Amino acid sequence: MTIFLSKLVQNNIKVFLVRNSDTQLFTVSYRNISILPNIYDGKEDPAPKFFSRNVQVLLKRLTRPDFAKVFRKRTSSGRDVLPTPIYKFLTNEALEAELAKANKKADRLLQMPPVVKIQQPINEILSEDPALIGYDTAKYLFTDITFGIANEHRLIVERDPDGTLRSCDHDVRKRLNQTYFPLNGRKLREPVMFTDEERFNTLLEQQEYEFVLDRACLQYEPDELTYQKITSITYQHIDMNKNFEKLRSTRHFGPMAFYITWHQNMDNLMLELLQSSAVREAVLLTALRHEIHGDVAEGDNAKILAHEILPTPIQLTKPDRLTEEDIQLDNKCVSCIEKYIVSNSMMKSQQELALQGFREYYQQLIELSRGLKKAHGTA
Amino acid sequence: MTMLSKLLSIRSIAAPINVFYKQINFPVNVIHNLTNFSTTSVKSVNFFNKLPAEKLWKSVTSVSNAGAKKGRGKGAGRIRIRDLNRGQVIGIGKINMLWPGLSAPVIRGRELLKQQRLPDDPERMEKLIKLRDSMTKFRRLRLSPIERGWSGARMPGRSIGPPDPIGEDEFTGFDTKVLQLRSLLIMKGNLGRTRNYQAMVVTGNGQGLAGFGLGRAKEASAALRKAKNRAGQKLMHFETYNGHTVFHDFYTAFGKTKIFVQKKNEGYGLKCHRAIKEICQAIGIKDLRAKLEGSNNLQHIVKAFFIGLLQQRTHQQLAEEKKLHLVEYKAENAYYPKVVASPSTVRTQDEILKDETLDFVQYVMNDRVILKKKRFPRFYETMPHYKIFLKKFERYRNHEKIRLMLKTEYGAVKSFLNDRYPEEKTESEA
Amino acid sequence: MLPPASGTGKYFAKAAKSIRLIRQGCTNRPFFHISVTQRRRLNSQPVIEQLGSYDPMPNINNEKLVALNLERIKYWLGKGAHVTPPVAEILGLSGFFPIHPRSYMTAWRNRKTEQENIAKQIEAEKAKESTAA
Repeated sequence: MTIFLSKLVQNNIKVFLVRNSDTQLFTVSYRNISILPNIYDGKEDPAPKFFSRNVQVLLKRLTRPDFAKVFRKRTSSGRDVLPTPIYKFLTNEALEAELAKANKKADRLLQMPPVVKIQQPINEILSEDPALIGYDTAKYLFTDITFGIANEHRLIVERDPDGTLRSCDHDVRKRLNQTYFPLNGRKLREPVMFTDEERFNTLLEQQEYEFVLDRACLQYEPDELTYQKITSITYQHIDMNKNFEKLRSTRHFGPMAFYITWHQNMDNLMLELLQSSAVREAVLLTALRHEIHGDVAEGDNAKILAHEILPTPIQLTKPDRLTEEDIQLDNKCVSCIEKYIVSNSMMKSQQELALQGFREYYQQLIELSRGLKKAHGTA
Repeated sequence: MTMLSKLLSIRSIAAPINVFYKQINFPVNVIHNLTNFSTTSVKSVNFFNKLPAEKLWKSVTSVSNAGAKKGRGKGAGRIRIRDLNRGQVIGIGKINMLWPGLSAPVIRGRELLKQQRLPDDPERMEKLIKLRDSMTKFRRLRLSPIERGWSGARMPGRSIGPPDPIGEDEFTGFDTKVLQLRSLLIMKGNLGRTRNYQAMVVTGNGQGLAGFGLGRAKEASAALRKAKNRAGQKLMHFETYNGHTVFHDFYTAFGKTKIFVQKKNEGYGLKCHRAIKEICQAIGIKDLRAKLEGSNNLQHIVKAFFIGLLQQRTHQQLAEEKKLHLVEYKAENAYYPKVVASPSTVRTQDEILKDETLDFVQYVMNDRVILKKKRFPRFYETMPHYKIFLKKFERYRNHEKIRLMLKTEYGAVKSFLNDRYPEEKTESEA
Repeated sequence: MLPPASGTGKYFAKAAKSIRLIRQGCTNRPFFHISVTQRRRLNSQPVIEQLGSYDPMPNINNEKLVALNLERIKYWLGKGAHVTPPVAEILGLSGFFPIHPRSYMTAWRNRKTEQENIAKQIEAEKAKESTAA
């Protein structure tokens, strides 16, 4: 009897332990779930601001496109064996033309998914015919498959069992469009990685952001609720863990930067930029905020400065030599950011510390390059 | 004096021997069968015990000189020498006797064993005969699949290790593959037809160094050794593109053998003649396609391929020859133009001649084009039943896909209708 | 190979055409193509053109899917093609044609039988109650 009792106790302890670990697991996953999706469902539509020329230019520059990453070797080509490389003999002019073509291709690869307001439900009744009640217990869905009509303009109607003829809602439209005009890669059923919270969180923990966002782009429309929820959680996860580098040189950096700026939450990105001594991009971010919200102190100054920065080449790595123009521009940037930190920042002390670090590093760099110039006798 | 004493001592030893002789009792009570008396002589010496085993076997197995010239004694019915001693143990014979100290231990446990007769083993002879029969058949040496060459246990395609070290210099990391081993018959004035062996091997370290060698000798093994060591002496260095393939497509020929070699991307493998494959492995080339045209003489193939490899031009050389940038486009990099080589001075569009070959492949192939043969239809594709089959199969063309889809979605070949109508069950389910 | 769904049927400019349902699918699983074909031709023969499809078995969401190439249907109607009643019913339900009278008749009959069934049930219940009492 005693043995039995002790066994029971042991078992109970086990059960208890298991339960305890369960709750732990739950709390772990709860931490992830606790990211509340922030979608574009307010009164203001983000689309006009997002598509405006100024914002687009700023977002593209903030993406910091590195062609080594944009044209990296991709395994998702669906080929069994990689085709043989092609070789060409080119003159200087032809090579430049080819590079220009590649730049255009890069633009296409870096085309940002649109940021738009969430869609309104379609509720249009075309006709009501009570005499048809009892005709059938099932709904009839009619799709116009006329050649050459875009999916969003396709005529799709349904006849309900109560005889009402109405336009279909977005989810049904999407399903039927996918049935008759399948999009390569989109699934009729939602992929498990989006429906199963556990799996989705695992992907985020593994920092597979680009994969998640690419798949979301493929599976959903940009104005869908699910798309905005998924992207919102992903962006916030990136922001919290400061994994901005993962999205650089991808098409998702722009929407991410727009998202965090729109929700006035871009101080993590600002800090990261200052810590990596990308002051010019920090100014661009300030200008972006002023474009969207118009609440930055001396924001117009930042905008003017941004216009000066945009023609300069993209700094993929820290510069090792400085010209006098560079020094002037960077000093202007530093003073602009100082004002931003004082008036708008939520992480004042940290950003100031980072800026101070940059100043010291930059002073050294200035001395070095001036000394070198003197040594070469060019100064 | 000393001599005398010696003689005396010998005598003293000899005396007891005489005594011993006298004491031996010869059998006296032997009964001679005198009633059945035969006058025919018995020969105790005959053919089988007069000659040694070696000569006896030779008389059975060998073929006369005239017979051998006619080609006798080569096929399946050939008698082979059997070792009759095999399977026999000293002390064990027809009569199963126990001989302590010979076929059994003298003391077993605490008991002293005695010489005694054991019950007969009736199967002993059968076992022996079976063993002897098994010796008659010729058995091939079994090789592990890794050691095997191109076909069976024959030498071509097999590895024979690195070349022998020269002084203190060892060929570490090298491996030699046999490409060809054949016997050549040579007529000689005083010896008649003599047999020579010729071997061709390739050796390499898989990192760019490789060489081939030809060896001739009276014995196959000697020919292989000669060839191997000669190959080790004639190493050449080949650069590879990114360590996996050749720099460009090329055409090469030796005699009537023509080879068209194509550069391939990673993961393609070696799709070429087996000799070329072995050479590529010796060099360290992993991806390549080669098409052979004309004669398929192996030695010519090897020589042609090596010549082709040596005549390759690096990208920088090609760019300098053409005085144009050489640009690479890879599908996996979304065809981004990557400049692999630039000349010191680049020509302009005006300086390019009107009828100049600008196509890269055409240029490196020296305007040679690979013959692309039309695919020959499978033997059944032209038959009438194949058309009928295609027509019938048309309606099942997607079944496998749909079954797979249902399995992923519901875990079995069923659909939502099965849940909606549970009474409609298939026989297998019920 | 089976003939393609569209384009290999014989076409005579002046002969009458008909837009009709052509059964595809297999045993116990009907599926229809809405096709235009010569009026005096069998359904098993190649058609002039496919204009849509109709799946009479409700899917998992209890929906029957109909696809209509309205542009081509208009073209063939303009050419004077005859429309068979089942196709006319489908087009009526879709709002492209006026509702076919047969649809109203079917609906009315269905409603009637249902009402009768309900009445029968009520009667049976009453009878049960009376016997029990």
